Amino acid sequence: MATTVPGVSLSAPRAVTLKTALLRPQSSHARLLPLAPRRRIVLVASSPSTPPEISDKVADSIKAAEEACAGDPVSGECVAAWDEVEELSAAASHARDNLKANSDPLENYCKDNPETDECRTYDN
Amino acid sequence: MAICTILQTAPSLHSPCSIPTSFPQTQVIFYTCSNGGMRVNSRRGGRSNLVVSCSADSNTVVIGLAADSGCGKSTFMRRLTSVFGGAAEPPKGGNPDSNTLISDTTTVICLDDYHSLDRYGRKEKGVTALDPRANNFDLMYEQVKAIKEGQAVEKPIYNHVTGILDPPELITPPKILVIEGLHPMFDPRVRELLDFSIYLDISNEVKFAWKIQRDMAERGHSLESIKASIEARKPDFDAYIDPQKKYADAVIEVLPTQLIPDDNEGKVLRVRLIMKEGVKYFTPVYLFDEGSTISWIPCGRKLSCSYPGIKFFYGPDTYFSNEVSVLEMDGQFDKLDELIYVESHLSNLSAKYYGEVTQQMLKHADFPGSNNGTGLFQTIVGLKIRDLYEQIVAEKAATTVEAAKA
Repeated sequence: MATTVPGVSLSAPRAVTLKTALLRPQSSHARLLPLAPRRRIVLVASSPSTPPEISDKVADSIKAAEEACAGDPVSGECVAAWDEVEELSAAASHARDNLKANSDPLENYCKDNPETDECRTYDN
Repeated sequence: MAICTILQTAPSLHSPCSIPTSFPQTQVIFYTCSNGGMRVNSRRGGRSNLVVSCSADSNTVVIGLAADSGCGKSTFMRRLTSVFGGAAEPPKGGNPDSNTLISDTTTVICLDDYHSLDRYGRKEKGVTALDPRANNFDLMYEQVKAIKEGQAVEKPIYNHVTGILDPPELITPPKILVIEGLHPMFDPRVRELLDFSIYLDISNEVKFAWKIQRDMAERGHSLESIKASIEARKPDFDAYIDPQKKYADAVIEVLPTQLIPDDNEGKVLRVRLIMKEGVKYFTPVYLFDEGSTISWIPCGRKLSCSYPGIKFFYGPDTYFSNEVSVLEMDGQFDKLDELIYVESHLSNLSAKYYGEVTQQMLKHADFPGSNNGTGLFQTIVGLKIRDLYEQIVAEKAATTVEAAKA
């Protein structure tokens, strides 16, 4: 069976694991950085934390939900309060994802300036 | 390409004490319509009358995606828009809290924007966002219909951080409109507008595991709070969200694995793609032989897999008294070989070239589920929707040619 996929290079197909690919999603393209010396920014792969204004809201909403449910755990007030917790937790998760997506300054720059030398991509 | 003329007339230009101006009192703006036709009909603002009209028919294809909060709609949207080509971004220069995503071909709108009760209103009335009473289905229907007919609309924005409705944003008709949220198939009028619909059905065990993963690190959250939130919302979820799955053209079910006995970690998943038969422009994917029942373990002499392996199932079934085809994958991909091997044994994928599914999965290897059935089936559904869109456009073009000949 042929194991060639357009745009994906498989120089050593048996050795390439999906895990490797997981760490390098851009592996099908080579981005050429300009030769001029520039300070390299090394990004540590840790997930960014939630922006404090959302984080506070999540924590407050949990407290409020626990209080609202103390008297009557099936009341509309209690259910609506836990729904608010879910809504804010989802918003917090989206905010973290956005921070992660926008954490690479080169990627950010290239989004708006795809035609510049730094941002050109070359297919193998 | 059609060119549209917009005539904008501002009211109260002739107030008694105004000095006659030398400016033309009618502004003419040229708009180009990339998708054939466009009409803007702004009646809501009341300030100015903006009327845009194009003669050609528009063909916005409307797709509905339903799922509960925190069940992977965003990831699915990113995969879907990637298949259509081009990255989807929030509207440039708009509200930073906008929920809309726009790419060259596709606009994704979030149905939370049609909340009729904001966070404070819901608190006061004691209703959740899942409750139909918290949502304005009349406006949802009116606006989705308008976009489908080629008219731009001023859609409200629900701000998920503040919990209130922000000033509206202009949505112009795209080639493909995706409406995602809690209720895309709830209202029969909105349902009627959908060209294709998908429901993400996440089992309770997996939902719990995913929310622990999402929220445990969040300050204030604990296992108890995560559990309490899921349980409190469950009656409304069961009453208003879950019943929509019977209307879906494709359902992606996510369940715990059966490969590891009594597994409750939620890391290895069994994912089922349930595809309705007889849907126009949609031909279900199959394994080996269309319509047969097949159980397949790809791991063996030709392909080595690591623990717990991969198991496929394919066969006809009934789902809410509809005839369906089911494709199931249990386990996860560990090596690129496995993904390519599986792709080469699936038929009717609607890929443009051999290996497209694998390539899409690799391109977004950092998205959740890229090594299991959720990523695989979301990618496949993306290809099927692209195919559906292309068929609809081709058919419209053929009818136009026929009409011109007659």
